[in-house]
Amino acid sequence: MRSLRSALAVQAGLAVLIGVVEIVLCANSSLRPIWLHMLVTATGLIYVAAGTIAWLRRPSNRIGSIIVVGGFCWLIVGLESTVDESLSCLSMIAITTPFAVMIHLLHAFPSGRLRSKLSHRTVVSAYAVALVLQLPNFLFDPRMSPDGVLAICASPVLADFGEWIQRIGGITVMVITIVVMRARLRQATHEQRRVLAPLYLYGTAALLLVPLAPDMFMPLFGLSMVPVTTIQILVFAGLPVVFALAVLRGGFARTSEIQELGLWLGAAERPPLEQALAQTLGDESLRLVYWSNERKRYVDADGLRLDVPRIAAHRAAVEVEMAGRRVGAIVYDPTLNDDPELVRAAGRVVAIAVDHERLTAELRASRRALKISRERIVEAADSERRRIARDLHDGLQAELVALALNAQQIAGQRSAMPDVREAATKLRSGIDATASQLRQLVYAIMPAALIERGLSAAVEDLVDRMPIPTRLQQDRMPRRLPDRVERVAYFVIAEALANAVKHARATKLCVRLTLREDDLIIEVTDDGVGGALAGAGLGLRGIADRVDVVGGRLHVSSPAGDGTTVNVEIPCVLS
Amino acid sequence: MRVVIGEDEALLREGLSLVLAQGGFDVVAAAATADQLLDETKAHKPNLVVTDIRMPPDHTDDGLRAALFIRQTMPKTAIVVLSQHLQRRYAIELLSGTSSGVGYLLKQRIADVEHFVQDLQRVCAGGTALDPDVVTLMVARARTDHDALLRLTPRQQQVLALMAEGRSNNSIARHLLISEKAVIQHVSHIYDELGLPVSEDDHRRVLAVVRYLSQ
Repeated sequence: MRSLRSALAVQAGLAVLIGVVEIVLCANSSLRPIWLHMLVTATGLIYVAAGTIAWLRRPSNRIGSIIVVGGFCWLIVGLESTVDESLSCLSMIAITTPFAVMIHLLHAFPSGRLRSKLSHRTVVSAYAVALVLQLPNFLFDPRMSPDGVLAICASPVLADFGEWIQRIGGITVMVITIVVMRARLRQATHEQRRVLAPLYLYGTAALLLVPLAPDMFMPLFGLSMVPVTTIQILVFAGLPVVFALAVLRGGFARTSEIQELGLWLGAAERPPLEQALAQTLGDESLRLVYWSNERKRYVDADGLRLDVPRIAAHRAAVEVEMAGRRVGAIVYDPTLNDDPELVRAAGRVVAIAVDHERLTAELRASRRALKISRERIVEAADSERRRIARDLHDGLQAELVALALNAQQIAGQRSAMPDVREAATKLRSGIDATASQLRQLVYAIMPAALIERGLSAAVEDLVDRMPIPTRLQQDRMPRRLPDRVERVAYFVIAEALANAVKHARATKLCVRLTLREDDLIIEVTDDGVGGALAGAGLGLRGIADRVDVVGGRLHVSSPAGDGTTVNVEIPCVLS
Repeated sequence: MRVVIGEDEALLREGLSLVLAQGGFDVVAAAATADQLLDETKAHKPNLVVTDIRMPPDHTDDGLRAALFIRQTMPKTAIVVLSQHLQRRYAIELLSGTSSGVGYLLKQRIADVEHFVQDLQRVCAGGTALDPDVVTLMVARARTDHDALLRLTPRQQQVLALMAEGRSNNSIARHLLISEKAVIQHVSHIYDELGLPVSEDDHRRVLAVVRYLSQ
């Protein structure tokens, strides 16, 4: 980085030196207004300055270097002002090179590298038009160089023919460039277009201005050669600024910001890794995927399986490795960053962080699997309760009624011995007592009201049976809720009430049920001693588990001496 | 007395038929589903319908819904609803109509044939038979809300519960082994204490008490 800085400094110093010489010497020039000379020199310096900044800030991007080359071309053109014979000849030779550099910039944007064969040929042709086809201009026309030193003969026909050929070549290169730009603009994404469109528009305007300005402005606005040339130079002078800004602005490849990634790693509070990478590489669509060793496939940040070929359509991907292990991949837009090495370098910087995120993703995946299995367990337990309650109701309970009836039939037989009748009556009472116990058991397993009428009725029945005065408030409660919600809500309320009775030494309890949007909200309050802790008592832990399994939230407020409020929200989408 | 039975358990359906036949009832039909119960009731127009609450097709409160429907459409039909589990809400729903002749009993009561038949006869005669269990539930709940109940003596509370079950003064006297005169005294004291409207009709008396307990 340091050597690059000093090299660029030397280069810039050289440019400034040339510029100063030109400006100092232009006073002697007899040609044209003096400020026109200065304008050319200034344009060269603007190119060098813009190019150097872009080069410095985006070392891997070659746009900066191309702009700097353009700057030196302009400075060479400006040598004409030195009145020195050989330097003026150089100027004559290089006079159309700024046009070729402009073509080069338009084709090479954004990375500075030429992407297609067509672009490559067009740029080579542009330089050929500027340097080779320039030859006839001064070889056959002694007027074009001081004392005709560059001329080999004076042949106006050949000179005119040469100029004509150069014009045709220039226009061809120009048209191809405009077509290529149009095509690229069409393929570009919306975001890319925001950067490309103004740039290409400016480029097209500049391209058209070169050959058309003299033929258009001079007759149209009655302008002389000087203002037309001034306009041309000014348009060219704006070009490097526009390109440098586009490169610096981002949206397109950055390199030195990889250092920013390093800073990001060290920062205490950092935005998500994917976002940091996206910003650094100027690609909002960038995605980071993680390699799951366990499943031998790529997953996303949540550990969900991911189809890389699917997300990678029209995308490029670079693997991220750590200590020779694959930990993930960066999937990016190759039109925004056409240098995979740059993306790979970014990946190396963040490899540890990617590995960390990868582990987190795997953890998330296993946590999700655990949650699903817990849900299944609770669901299975609840269905089993329901089944047992039903079986007892339809089977054992009915059986006990029938048995008691049989016993009573024996007790009622007048022909039977008195002691048999007495024993049968006793048997019947015994069966009745057993039936009563069974009723309580069935009630505890799955209350009939919950099966027959749903949550509201079941909680009402529960409240009716509380040994402590208990109020029930219901707001916007429909007759039935989804089975799962009803069961969880019922057992949560039953548990909370049982807790209050057992531990709170309360004199009053209150149950509130509200359906708000997609949540069932349960509030169980008591006026007891407080001091209950979620997760501490077995009862509260049971509530917490049940609530957690259905993705609900539990909040227990229990200040010592000031009662307890158990607040539960259960997601409840009514179909 | 012609009776239609609604009970999905074959064992209980037969047991019930037997008990009712022995008790002098004429069982004209025995339905296994709530829909069938409605059909049989419409067809036979019985004096009494005895039905289980949880029955097909939904296995929820189908039997109760059928019973409530019968009470609405055929108000002269006496109805006794049986269940394995009693709830205050069901009792109130059954008593909410204006007609008399309703019972709500625990299924296990069938076995105590003598009293069960007496309860059915009382309902057929336009009376009421609420299970002692559901009355206890109501009184216990009401006690937390109404101080007046706490001012009643234990004996008066017993009398109040028996009134809520739908028993006549005579029946209460026999149950508590006291004279009917003593019962009348207790009843009038209860009326004063709770501020109930005086009624000679046992069924209206039940309604008044239940309404008071459910306030």
